[in-house]
Amino acid sequence: MLNEESQIEEINEIGYIAKKIDIEMTILERMKIKKSTMKRITMALGIYFVTMFLFLYIL
Amino acid sequence: MIEIIPLVVILAFIFETMDSSAGMGFGTGLTPLLFVLGYEPLQVVPILLISEAITGFTSGFFHQEFENVNFKIKRPINRETKVMLYITIFGCIAILISVFITYFAIQVDKVVIKTYVAILLLIMGIIAIVKLKFKSSNYKPKLLTFFSGLAGFNKGIGAGGYGPVVMLGQIFSGIYEKTATAIVSLSEGFVSLAGISAFMIIPILKNIPNEIDFYLLPSVFTGGFIGALISPYMVRILPNKLWKVVIPIYALAIGIYVLLQLFGI
Repeated sequence: MLNEESQIEEINEIGYIAKKIDIEMTILERMKIKKSTMKRITMALGIYFVTMFLFLYIL
Repeated sequence: MIEIIPLVVILAFIFETMDSSAGMGFGTGLTPLLFVLGYEPLQVVPILLISEAITGFTSGFFHQEFENVNFKIKRPINRETKVMLYITIFGCIAILISVFITYFAIQVDKVVIKTYVAILLLIMGIIAIVKLKFKSSNYKPKLLTFFSGLAGFNKGIGAGGYGPVVMLGQIFSGIYEKTATAIVSLSEGFVSLAGISAFMIIPILKNIPNEIDFYLLPSVFTGGFIGALISPYMVRILPNKLWKVVIPIYALAIGIYVLLQLFGI
């Protein structure tokens, strides 16, 4: 019970995930990008190009 | 005719990349440079706010995506989200006061204010560098409240230096550097949105024409947006040890930069 509580407290700590990744992964491992993240980056770039096109050539 | 200005794109890219990875410098660094290039305050300030709002949300989103931070929308919200909300609330109140001061032309001695900010940044930068020798401290919420208030006060009187104070304040309060950067990025998105809303609403309330000039927006936004996409990835792959050193040195450099401006250099 006490162990479970301390585990929850640890997860609730600020920067827990970033710290964990920093300690457990090498730079090469951290460089890998998830497929879902790649999709979101592509989507963000798509939104950017559409917005710029509208702003520069239509509005 | 609105066009893309390569020099402005490059400057916006450099300062946004540093802003989203070290948590500071976009407004403090880019604003005076654009003034030097001959642009007017109403061409620069609202455009930087619009750009910072979009890039703040973008980099905040990708910081979460690259796991530099773990924001939670669903209840119970975690500490990281609470800290972000804390800083955002102080920042929003402050920026509204700041825009009112600008629009209602309340006289504030700019030299005194800039000197105060430059000295504050220098002191905080030096303390942060000295603190590198010591082990990271535990989370201190009271200290964070103090620094959020101090950063808000600076922004409220139009002094700038919001990012460095809030960023170093988080580090002094024991927040992990990578996460502190992500928190500031998202918070700046909300604060800038509040600022730009005030810029839009005040002319309507005062029944005067809105004088915002969008000429620089595509250039600032292009550089800023690319920077906001790259920075969270950079923060993820580079070790925290490096950010621990880069952040205080960059804050100190910004302090020196503000001080040099005062002397007209």
